[in-house]
Amino acid sequence: MAAVQDGPMELDAEKETKPEILSDGTSNLSGNTASGTLSSSPLTAAPAGGAPKMEDQQTLIAVLQFLKRNKLSESVEILRREAGLGEHQEDSQATDGSGGGKGDGDGGDANSLLSRVFITSAAAPQSMLVKKDQPDVSVVLSAYSQQGDPPLYQVYYSGLKNFIESVLDCHRAELSQLFYPLFVHMYLELVYNNHETKAKAFFDKFSGDQECYYQDDLRILCGLTKKEHLKGNEVLLDFRTSRFVLRISRDSYQLLKRHLQERHNNQIWNIIQEHLYIDIFDGMPRSKSQIDSMSGSLAGEARREVNKAKVFYGLLKEPEIEVPLDDEDDEAENEEGKPKKKKTKKDSLGSKSKKQDPNAPQQNRIPLPELKDSDKLDKIMYMKESTKRIRLGPENLPSICFYTFLNAFQGLTAVDFTDDSSLLAGGFADSTVRVWSVTPKKLRKVKSTAELNVIDKESDDVLERIMDEKTASESKILHGHSGPVYGVSFSPDRNYLLSSSEDGTVRLWSLQTFTCLVGYKGHNYPVWDTQFSPFGYYFVSGGHDRVARLWATDHYQPLRIFAGHLADVTCTQFHPNSNYVATGSTDRTVRLWDVLNGNCVRILTGHKGPIHSLAFSPNGKFLASGSTDGRVLLWDIGHGLMIGELKGHTDTIYALKFSRDGEILASGSMDNTVRLWDSMKAFDEVETDDFTATTGHIHLPDNSQELLLGMYHSKSTPVTHLHFTRRNLLLAAGAYNSQ
Amino acid sequence: MASPKTVPKDAQVMMQILKDMGITEYDPRVINQMLEFTYRYVTTIIEDAKIYSTHAKKSNVDADDIRLAIQCRVDQSFTSPPPRDFLLDIARQKNQTPLPLIKPYTGPRLPPDRYCLTAPNYRLKSLQKKVSSSAGRITVPRLSVGAVSSRPSTPTLGTPSVQTVGTKVGTPVSLTGQRFTVQIPSSQALTVRSKAPTPTTPTVQNVLINPSLIGSKNILITTNMVSQNSSSDSTSLKRKHEDEDEYDAL
Repeated sequence: MAAVQDGPMELDAEKETKPEILSDGTSNLSGNTASGTLSSSPLTAAPAGGAPKMEDQQTLIAVLQFLKRNKLSESVEILRREAGLGEHQEDSQATDGSGGGKGDGDGGDANSLLSRVFITSAAAPQSMLVKKDQPDVSVVLSAYSQQGDPPLYQVYYSGLKNFIESVLDCHRAELSQLFYPLFVHMYLELVYNNHETKAKAFFDKFSGDQECYYQDDLRILCGLTKKEHLKGNEVLLDFRTSRFVLRISRDSYQLLKRHLQERHNNQIWNIIQEHLYIDIFDGMPRSKSQIDSMSGSLAGEARREVNKAKVFYGLLKEPEIEVPLDDEDDEAENEEGKPKKKKTKKDSLGSKSKKQDPNAPQQNRIPLPELKDSDKLDKIMYMKESTKRIRLGPENLPSICFYTFLNAFQGLTAVDFTDDSSLLAGGFADSTVRVWSVTPKKLRKVKSTAELNVIDKESDDVLERIMDEKTASESKILHGHSGPVYGVSFSPDRNYLLSSSEDGTVRLWSLQTFTCLVGYKGHNYPVWDTQFSPFGYYFVSGGHDRVARLWATDHYQPLRIFAGHLADVTCTQFHPNSNYVATGSTDRTVRLWDVLNGNCVRILTGHKGPIHSLAFSPNGKFLASGSTDGRVLLWDIGHGLMIGELKGHTDTIYALKFSRDGEILASGSMDNTVRLWDSMKAFDEVETDDFTATTGHIHLPDNSQELLLGMYHSKSTPVTHLHFTRRNLLLAAGAYNSQ
Repeated sequence: MASPKTVPKDAQVMMQILKDMGITEYDPRVINQMLEFTYRYVTTIIEDAKIYSTHAKKSNVDADDIRLAIQCRVDQSFTSPPPRDFLLDIARQKNQTPLPLIKPYTGPRLPPDRYCLTAPNYRLKSLQKKVSSSAGRITVPRLSVGAVSSRPSTPTLGTPSVQTVGTKVGTPVSLTGQRFTVQIPSSQALTVRSKAPTPTTPTVQNVLINPSLIGSKNILITTNMVSQNSSSDSTSLKRKHEDEDEYDAL
């Protein structure tokens, strides 16, 4: 019997496909006539033998088969002699699939198990005759174990639970990570093999033990009771096929392995080998709080090697612009500039050194549009404004100007400001996009062709003359989408506006003519967010089809497809150097993608709810993300680690923005508040070199209260968008919610 | 919200379902909408199943029929996004091509006109129904196909102007600026009834545009009569030139 006990573990590891065939066989019995004819003989033979004796025989025959397969001929002979089995009996009766001498080592148990197999699926043994030749005992055994024995699942799970509760404290936290994935996989297996009632019982018994942050997933699982339900659910299918990643220290892992192998809990071991990926590290086991902060995503945590790729998070060098000398002070970037009359103020924007920042990407790593004259003028304006910028800090908080959308009736779904804060765009659930002018200057569109023919093209103010004064207005409405508009984004040169909608398209609008120019079709499902690159020309969009796409305005097809998320991509953001794109998703991870080759360079887990807002710090080193769980997490992109957690909001955070110099992080949420956090302090505390970069463990100080600089309530208006003007005034936008 | 006693049983079941799924706050009309959806879906499935069972000459509708009906409908109404391995595959293919270089100083960077929505999707009816005087001209109905949005967009830059009808007799007013056109002989054009009202005689100038939605593709088919030496190209070129003017000037 010892041979049989070892058998399942090794064989099951090899034969993963067979259970699938066999379990399919269960459901497709009607098509399996061959098995029907074969099965008739064992069935007639079976009653003849009498039930218990037959089952013993089956066991022995299965053992014989196994020994034969492993060419242990002498043992075969001995066993055959001792058991008194004839040659012929094997052929006819071994075909009966209940030879489940399962690794229990207990005869009584085996019998009860076998009888249960007969009861639950009387047709099941017959279906195991899919192979016309002599069926392997390995097939039988593995099929049996995969088909499971539903009550045994509960036994296994409780056994594991007892074991984990009995280990040392330091290991317990780590090993408890196993509960959730095991629970889900076992449940899904029961459902997949059509053991509906057993699945429900299993669920009821153990769902309460799981962590609180998995409750949403469990609620969805609870509704899935049949195999058909699984078919349409892409997220769960992905969960089943992708491997859930657990990070466990070597000591804890050894403990677990020893326990499972000595207790012959094959089922759990199978699941671990097949569906889980255990990332072992050497070092101290992690504490519960450390684990809690990193876990929560749909696929477990991130493997260490995933976050090891080099990321160029530095900023691109600012181009050198010759500035006409004015009375005012100008930017300091003019390295070969003319000698100035006054001493120029040192500007944090311009990079004084000519040396390449090692962390910055090459200028030509990705093709970027060159600067036009209008862009250069914009840059000069930018420099001028930045000299007048207020330095923010804990003692110097920004003023907040809130733009409230009235009479939107909860239809406001997206907002964006231009960089110079002159225009405001709102996307609405009635599929319109409206553009407002925030400054007293009205919105004008270009004249029609007939009128353009008559203007004097040589005059100096031709740029004003081509604009139509008669239709100037404070706001303009853009029609075109056929579904609610979920994302809007202005181009940096203020010529274009992008909008993404539930109808699956992203539209490019011209802000000179206020008409739609292009509709980019690619996502066939709602597109939740879109964003222009900080240099224009490229834009990214993310939607329900679980991918984010990178487009260029002059290509009707996407240039890059960023696939890898397990659920919808809800939020997209470009890095300030335009070489990377961050995406937040409903699978509760944030991924950073390289624009050059489409690879995912960082996977950041830790949120416990879908992520709805992302913000890069202006120096490009850090990323902040906000989700439905009300927490803002701060990440160091270079190392791929979480460096801060800001708790305080009570509802989904839809808006995150860093101030222009990165000293303050503002967050706006559905709980009608805007909170200001001291990001300088949060980042200072982790500027150490001896990071726990190798193991990736962080011990986050619970200092949310200290970092909170201010909390401001609005009058029942959830905050949809935040924007710092060039002079560090904070603008917020939201729709008044009268309920 | 109505008290539970007066709420019909179906609605109570729906409220319980919403509660089980964890949805606690919702507009009262959501129940009605959900019930309506349920009723419509179930009716469709059962009707389909009845058809299948009569086709199979069965007396009753059984579970297999229902299952088949559900399977057939699921691809039409409840499509789910493509599976992950497929997405990873196409992503790998797409990401292998290097990023295209950006041509400098090209004005507004837009895709080829065919993929833009900048063309006018209407044309003005010409005022004069004049027979083309030149004998050498062969008017051929030309079918142009272009992609437009599902909603008629506001007139774009290429607003056609009724120009110089007097000078060039028999020329149509402007044309869609699309380069892709399909020439079909007049006999075929006359049979295209569903798309647009066809001109009765080749010489009549009136053209009507029917921005019809054909299936799920939004294709606009215009039949227009173009003479061989049409001025349409010049107008479209002229329009493009104007575009460039405006953009470059900024």
